[in-house]
Amino acid sequence: MLKRAFPSLASMVLALVLCFVAIGLTRVGFGSALSAYAQMFWGGFGDLPRFLRTGAGSALANPWGETATKGALLTLTGLSVGVAYAAGLFNIGAQGQLVVGALVAAVLGAQVRLPAPLHLPLCLLGAAGAGGLYGAFPAWLKLKRGVHEVLSTIMLNWMAVTLVENWLVPGPLRAITEGTQSRSGTEQILASAELPRLLGAASRLHLGFPLAALLAWGCWLWLYRTTHGFETRAVGLNPAAAETAGIPVGRRMGQAMALAGALAGLAGAVLVLGTEHQYPAILSAPYGFDGIAMAMLGQANPIGIGLVSLLFGALRAGGTRMQLLGVHKSFPELIQGIALLLVAARLLWERLGDRLFRRVL
Amino acid sequence: MHAGERLALIGENGAGKSTLMNVLYGLCAPDSGEVRVNGASVALRSPRDAMAYGIGMVHQHFMLVPTFTVAENVVLGREPTRRGLLDWDAACAQVKAAAEPFGFTLDPCARVEDLSVGSQQKVEIVKAVHRGAKLLILDEPTAVLTPQERDELFRVTRTFCDRGHSVIFIGHKLEEILGFADRVAVMRRGKLVAQVKAAEASAQSLSALMVGAAPPAAAPLASAAAQGPRAGSEARPMLELDGVHARGRHGLWALNGVTLQVRPGELVGIAGVDGNGQTELAEVITGLRPWEKGTLSLGDLRFSSLTPSVTRAHGVAHIPEDRHARAMVGAMTVEENLALGQQREAPFARGPWVDASGRRARAEELVKRYDVRPPRTDLPMASLSGGNQQKVVLGRELSMAPRLLVAVQPTRGLDVAALTAIHARLLEARDAGAAVLLISLDLDEVLALSDRVYVLASGRVTLELPRGALDERRLGAAMLGTVAHA
Repeated sequence: MLKRAFPSLASMVLALVLCFVAIGLTRVGFGSALSAYAQMFWGGFGDLPRFLRTGAGSALANPWGETATKGALLTLTGLSVGVAYAAGLFNIGAQGQLVVGALVAAVLGAQVRLPAPLHLPLCLLGAAGAGGLYGAFPAWLKLKRGVHEVLSTIMLNWMAVTLVENWLVPGPLRAITEGTQSRSGTEQILASAELPRLLGAASRLHLGFPLAALLAWGCWLWLYRTTHGFETRAVGLNPAAAETAGIPVGRRMGQAMALAGALAGLAGAVLVLGTEHQYPAILSAPYGFDGIAMAMLGQANPIGIGLVSLLFGALRAGGTRMQLLGVHKSFPELIQGIALLLVAARLLWERLGDRLFRRVL
Repeated sequence: MHAGERLALIGENGAGKSTLMNVLYGLCAPDSGEVRVNGASVALRSPRDAMAYGIGMVHQHFMLVPTFTVAENVVLGREPTRRGLLDWDAACAQVKAAAEPFGFTLDPCARVEDLSVGSQQKVEIVKAVHRGAKLLILDEPTAVLTPQERDELFRVTRTFCDRGHSVIFIGHKLEEILGFADRVAVMRRGKLVAQVKAAEASAQSLSALMVGAAPPAAAPLASAAAQGPRAGSEARPMLELDGVHARGRHGLWALNGVTLQVRPGELVGIAGVDGNGQTELAEVITGLRPWEKGTLSLGDLRFSSLTPSVTRAHGVAHIPEDRHARAMVGAMTVEENLALGQQREAPFARGPWVDASGRRARAEELVKRYDVRPPRTDLPMASLSGGNQQKVVLGRELSMAPRLLVAVQPTRGLDVAALTAIHARLLEARDAGAAVLLISLDLDEVLALSDRVYVLASGRVTLELPRGALDERRLGAAMLGTVAHA
């Protein structure tokens, strides 16, 4: 277990070190790098010094909320890429599926009137269904027409973004302006569709985080504890052998891609129902593409993806606070990029890992 | 090793033959000891060093770029240039010159992927010669060849040796080795245990040296087959094909009206030269390939189309021809591989869930019963040796208590011990009442095990012989398609 996680852990540590050095060299000195990292840490994992000083619970709850919100989105898109990867497919289309899911959640959340216990599930299911269809389409293209899923999902990303952000959101779905007030994005969703906050006003922590954690656990159960998941993994590792064993290869690939799309669609729903409360003029962060990094760093294991996503969620939440010290807030993304680059150097880690573990174990 | 000599190197799987050759070819470094070339100790750190000393190697799996032409493959790494540009005319001329002494013609402009396996091997040999090889290492060169191609290979290597060069030949088939080599070196567990002159050795004596004990006799096996339950011709066939036509990989007809039956308790062999429809026949029966004309019945049921899950549900087990591609998932554990194909049935599953403890128990039982080494269920399948992987596959397929077992080349590339074990299991399955269809390119294997033999040539059954009437010469003629329907 430790041996499997080693490349990811080592890559992330090394990326943290490299960025530390980079900050130290570009700013006044390593003292400021240290305080920048401290800000990032307290901003991501809870401001312990301030909590001890003032006793205010929000010093902990507020950073936790930010971390959990970002972590939930990264987990969902990471799972999307990871689930497809388990079936031997490379889902580059999580961003497009997320956009489609977000739009459906925004429309259902604003236009349908239902009591909360029905409204919220309807929005979530609608987003998952739309994302699932948008994910199943490239699988269908692959199985029927032989189109490689990497190409089709990349193109479907641009189609989704262009259709939604260049036409639907500024056009037919734009919020109706009242008086002189001009607003961008779609109509605000109704309160009954919002993901409820769990810690009240102290923190933005909402139901999205437990939902993502539950889905990570569910995906792990599915892949490693059910016969259906076993068949899907067999298809991913050797489709010809799976076919010989009587497993319907095409169907399992299609199901995995539909699930991948549904997970990315849910990420879109969580973003809209939990944070944005509308489909904004332009969706803020490319969480769909971050999902690729999360899946690779998590070694395509749902639990690993959840843990890695939580870590990067924390780094990002804390990264905002580094700005106070004049360090650019994109450093967490830089750390993520470098870690991804390093973990991709598979051979390096295999050799290093073999040597290390032969000595230790 | 002398100039102009043909040395054969034999030993069981894992005896260290390949490792030794990798040392010679500079792929791995010796921990102790030295290699001497022409009396001088040399350090072979890479294939480049080995080539510099005139050592060339033809791997079992060819190291060619399929989409390159013959000439491009041969000169790869030392391309002739003219004014800084590649000079293809010179390359083609060099290929012709290198091939010429052997008396075979290779079209330098043909793409390697379009060539037959035998011709690809020639490209490998020409490549080695072009690099100045004086010692050629052939790693199981005949495993993929038809008898004709094999004879051609032996002729080519003899020409090579007549020019004062030497050949090391790694192989499993003892008769073949005796017919080819001057000297035979036997390895066992990483040690050279004997060197004998081929003229003074016999297949029995070599086999004894290889396993280090009395040879696993072929004779008792043959008699076991003879004593087996002679399936009454009145028994209803488990498998029946009538005039089945099917297309091969390139859309050409591979099966041209195959008619055959296999009855319960009967082991039927399919003999034939490679590429005469054997692969397609197995794929049709196991549901992997559609057929277009004719009928196929399993037991009492007649089918117009099949999928692997349907054939499995009707008790058809399959030992595929290409183990790595079709029979196993290398990255999964032995335990998971044992569940493959029966993953939804007890003891591998309970409802929609994987039954971890049931699977573990069944896996441990099978690993013990089929003598898989090392006897562990948690190792990745890819880390096992070929023979042990095949034992896992066989154990899995037989544990489903099949009514029909389709075994394609089940012992290809395996050592004598694994081969004997697998033969015994096939007969055991037959004795337990299963219908067994054995498709093999190894005629000896077909002859030793079959109750009845069909010969497949050009996608047709050209001869059917019961065990009592088996006649190698008639089979040989039928395999080449020179006799009419029997």
